[in-house]
Amino acid sequence: MSSKVGILDAPKRIFILALAGIVLMLAALDREVARLSRNTIPRWTMGRVRQSRGAQAIALGNSLIGVGFNEPSFDAGMGVGKLPGSINLAMGGSSGVEQLLMLRYALEQGLRPRTVIFGFFDFTLTHPLEYSTRDLIGNRAMLYYMEPEYARRYYHLSPHDRAEFEIMRHFELFEDRGTVWERVELFRRALAQQGMPPEKSNSMGRSVDFAMLEYPSASEFIAECGRARRNPLIPSIREIALQAEAAGANVYFVEMPMPPDHVHLFYDQPQWSAGYRAHLREMLGGIGAQYVDASHWMPDENSFEDPLHLTYAGAQEFSRHLGEYLRRLPSGETKN
Amino acid sequence: MTILDWLKHAFDYMGGAQDDPPPGFGIRVEHWWFWAIWWAALALAIYVFSGQSSKFIYIDF
Repeated sequence: MSSKVGILDAPKRIFILALAGIVLMLAALDREVARLSRNTIPRWTMGRVRQSRGAQAIALGNSLIGVGFNEPSFDAGMGVGKLPGSINLAMGGSSGVEQLLMLRYALEQGLRPRTVIFGFFDFTLTHPLEYSTRDLIGNRAMLYYMEPEYARRYYHLSPHDRAEFEIMRHFELFEDRGTVWERVELFRRALAQQGMPPEKSNSMGRSVDFAMLEYPSASEFIAECGRARRNPLIPSIREIALQAEAAGANVYFVEMPMPPDHVHLFYDQPQWSAGYRAHLREMLGGIGAQYVDASHWMPDENSFEDPLHLTYAGAQEFSRHLGEYLRRLPSGETKN
Repeated sequence: MTILDWLKHAFDYMGGAQDDPPPGFGIRVEHWWFWAIWWAALALAIYVFSGQSSKFIYIDF
């Protein structure tokens, strides 16, 4: 009898010890992911905020303004001289919620900008945000750790994803899994490139991927203009405007410069120019923000390095122009 | 026994298809730490490569 108990106990003991060993190794992995993700773009940007408390202008948005807003050129255009200038808090692949969180972080850290610039393209300002936890990777991972309860008011998760989110946000292993996946993805792309013609890519990724973010045809874009004209501003965008204004800033929503093909195919359609754009102007005006149409400012296609993003030289030119433009606006002098 | 046969035997043993290890194989599946490492390694492999199914259109490098 006692030998039978001993045989039965052995696998149980092995199982429990093995389980404890797995937990220990996963805990070590969790710490390693935390170490690898110390300098992710949101955390690096937060670090910049802490070192730029005197900034007079904040730029927010996704990669279009992340690449397209050049701080020194904008400051030169604004004529700030030796005063503290602007800080670019835009993050690639981010939505209005992450940008709202970054603005709130900046304000909480004591920044009191006179100017807040929000760069956008297409339907960013009105497209409802519906996420699943699968989407919360890369820069969106900040939704796990930066005011997560507050941020949840501004995007939708299914009940299943809400439960998953609540579990995942307690482990760096899950929160910043994109940090590991990025490395694997880079390795996979490097392998896929062996013996192949080089793919065109830039600091943000492969050019061909950004073409996928454009509408496939003018007719589909026009149809979306019709639908989007009935949409209000998404709540996170509205909050960006309201909270920036409450902090004493003039808020400008900038329709970002786009390549001539995009402008001609999409933005020159009356459904955009006289329809959706007018709808945006009206809604933004209603909450005290101003609309800047910069979509046609860069008519040379050589100013763009892919279907969406400006080159470095293009960003310098655009940013200087934007600074000069805002300096000439009378409302830029009305606050603070 | 060729190297490939030996490796096949070793993997069969670790996977439970063989009762005895190949000659010279020092790990015994009766050890708890073997199973801890084995399952942690499998979990790590799944973790590292599961990003392939995500919507990775582009990355900020």
